[in-house]
Amino acid sequence: MQFDSFTFMLFFAAVLAAYNALGAWPARKWLLLGASYVFYAAWNPPFLLLLLGSTTLDWWIARRIDAAQEPSARKRWVMLTLLVNLGVLAFFKYNRFLLDNFAALPALIGVKYVPAQLDIVLPIGISFYTFHSLSYCLDIYRRKFAPTPSWRDYALYVAFFPQLVAGPITRFPQMRPQIEAPRRTTRAGLGLGLSLLVLGLFEKSVLADSIFAPVADAFFNASANAGTAVAWSGVLAFSGQIFCDFAGYSTCAIGAALALGFELPTNFRFPYAAVGFSDFWRRWHISLSSWLRDYLYISFGGNRRGEARTYVNLLLTMLIGGLWHGAAWTFVIWGGLHGLYLSVERLLREHVWPARWNSAALRFVYGLITLFFVVLAWVWFRATDFAAGCDIFHKLFFAQGGYVLGAAQQLALAAFAATVVTHWLLRERDLKSLIARTPAPLLGLVLGLLLAAIVLSPGDNHAFIYFQF
Amino acid sequence: MRSSTSSSDAPVQRWGLAWVLALGIAMAFVGTVERHWRALGYRPNVRDSAQLWSIERDRAYATDKTPLLLLGASRIEFSIDLKLMRDLLPRYQPVMLAQNAHYPLAALRDLARDERFNGVVLCDIEAGGLEKTYTDMQQPLVDYYHKQWAPSWHLHRLLLSHWQHHWAVADPDLGLTASVLRLIDGSAPPRPEYFRFHPDRSGDIDYTQVDVAAARRHFGEVLANSQQLHADVAPEQWRADLAQVYEWTRRIQARGGKVIFYQSPTGPTLTQIETIRHPKALYWDRFAADSPAPVLDAMDDAALAKFELPDDSHLDYRSKPAYTRALVEALVSRGLLER
Repeated sequence: MQFDSFTFMLFFAAVLAAYNALGAWPARKWLLLGASYVFYAAWNPPFLLLLLGSTTLDWWIARRIDAAQEPSARKRWVMLTLLVNLGVLAFFKYNRFLLDNFAALPALIGVKYVPAQLDIVLPIGISFYTFHSLSYCLDIYRRKFAPTPSWRDYALYVAFFPQLVAGPITRFPQMRPQIEAPRRTTRAGLGLGLSLLVLGLFEKSVLADSIFAPVADAFFNASANAGTAVAWSGVLAFSGQIFCDFAGYSTCAIGAALALGFELPTNFRFPYAAVGFSDFWRRWHISLSSWLRDYLYISFGGNRRGEARTYVNLLLTMLIGGLWHGAAWTFVIWGGLHGLYLSVERLLREHVWPARWNSAALRFVYGLITLFFVVLAWVWFRATDFAAGCDIFHKLFFAQGGYVLGAAQQLALAAFAATVVTHWLLRERDLKSLIARTPAPLLGLVLGLLLAAIVLSPGDNHAFIYFQF
Repeated sequence: MRSSTSSSDAPVQRWGLAWVLALGIAMAFVGTVERHWRALGYRPNVRDSAQLWSIERDRAYATDKTPLLLLGASRIEFSIDLKLMRDLLPRYQPVMLAQNAHYPLAALRDLARDERFNGVVLCDIEAGGLEKTYTDMQQPLVDYYHKQWAPSWHLHRLLLSHWQHHWAVADPDLGLTASVLRLIDGSAPPRPEYFRFHPDRSGDIDYTQVDVAAARRHFGEVLANSQQLHADVAPEQWRADLAQVYEWTRRIQARGGKVIFYQSPTGPTLTQIETIRHPKALYWDRFAADSPAPVLDAMDDAALAKFELPDDSHLDYRSKPAYTRALVEALVSRGLLER
């Protein structure tokens, strides 16, 4: 079920009440696990079996890895979990992509091969819970911690409903102490958690769905006749939409967890005020970028194998990160662009950029340059295919008339500008601290206006964009 | 990890005060906006959607009563008093599956393929709507139902319908973004709607709120250009294409279900237009002759044909009870339904 649905409001109120009514911690953990499975099954009940199977298998394999003394045996077990998890992901998420590209190979020599179209539904959140499971098994393989003997605790780590379908991607050491030691809803946790829920819903329902999505959709779904100004408004609207949609989800997730007494890691930290691309990835989808760093970039050798190899590792990591988002070459291009940005930035920083060039003005200019290139990369994230992406770039940079913007586009541009300004104003602040320290009357006023705006922004429930990943 | 909720140097937040204020301000704000729109004549209205359709689609399966599924487009959607129909036909459970401006063949096909369905279908359609090219018009609803519909959405939509049924601000056109957009481009608020949907998807049209003359003028202009009127498909091709409809009908009948094809009444101008486009002898009559299911044209029933249709196509909501009685009587008297 979605956070922006009446069903979730009822579900969350019921879970919160039952969770605090129960006394024993094990019973409350069972309740949270059961509620998480209900939350997941609300989309497509049969896929709950896949989640249960994947959870149980990885919990068991992790114990086998830990118990094995021989390095070769440990390696065999970890290969098994990689094979199973990535195999399931490939089957559900990448089958079409793989088949289409496989069919393109014989086409190069003139042989026409049309693969059967498999009507496979993507289980929601599979990319996220697969990464949870993989990080657990890989960390145990690396002897970072001992596996939990409790299936329930491990299952709750994977399935904890606030973060189950779209993150943040947590690590077991972050959640273990919170799962093993009894917790309760506190007044501060509930107050702050509900505040974050309201803020997240505002980002999703008001900004992403009501203001940005119509402009972005109108452009990307029918870009053929758009002029340059409309193209820029569409691309900037999508830049606003993707942030507000995904950060909105993460904010809701963190808020819901906090209300239950759990603390999830921050996933977004005002990324449109990033100064540089490495800074951007320390602020955007932080739990994914740190996952990619720890389990891909470092596994490839990181920066330990020479300068050239470092750039290759960066590029490779971001290409795979792009492919993680979706089974299409456009996502690979998006990831590749970010890999290129990071490599060029690293090259300039190490060989060209003098350390003394660090004034506030220069940092601000570099921040704007960063934003500009991040926005350009979003074109590939949203474009339906390669040709559409190229066409959009042509519209962006080669004036094509149509400079008059409609009211919806003007509003979207104003909202995007406001989002960027807000990020710059708050870039060094912690959102939770900011809310907790705001005087109660002012906080009440802001929350009241946000709530009213949510209620006054009715419309269809759009699935969160990251659900498809 | 540093906990921002327990930082020792942070002042203790007065959460109770903040939240009481927040709820008070939100309620006052929304209440003021609601009063504003009500004062301008706007009334709550349920918004039709794939979710609302799916709630009704869930009711297609027999329980203690035989499901009576009403398929079609706007004419049947805005002409049947469902509560009255339930009272008049206590053996049946009427369910509204029609969709405004969309012909219903995709819904009929879906019911034919659904082995669990063995109820009664009353399919309101005219010759034009039977053209093969319109087969998939309602397919998005069917796809949504089979691919995305889930119990959690059912509960959500029930609560949303309740909200929309009682609050005018649940209309996106009266929402915050729409209002800001009107401020930017200087446009006027939309006219209060002349039609209303009920949570059961039946609708009412209030023709005192409509420029009926304009609607009639439109049909008059169409008729004036009658040399441009022609069917999109030649009669023989049209007749051949109906094979799929007959196959779906037989599949439902083979399971003990029943299909009744029905054509709603039309006013004089629209009837003339339709007669030019689809001459009855070449289209409808052939369909009636070939169809494995009974076919009823309202224009062949004196009680149904007499209703005034303000725009030549739809009933005013005040006529719905009488029309519903006449339709039920027409179906029962022909042995197609039982009281």
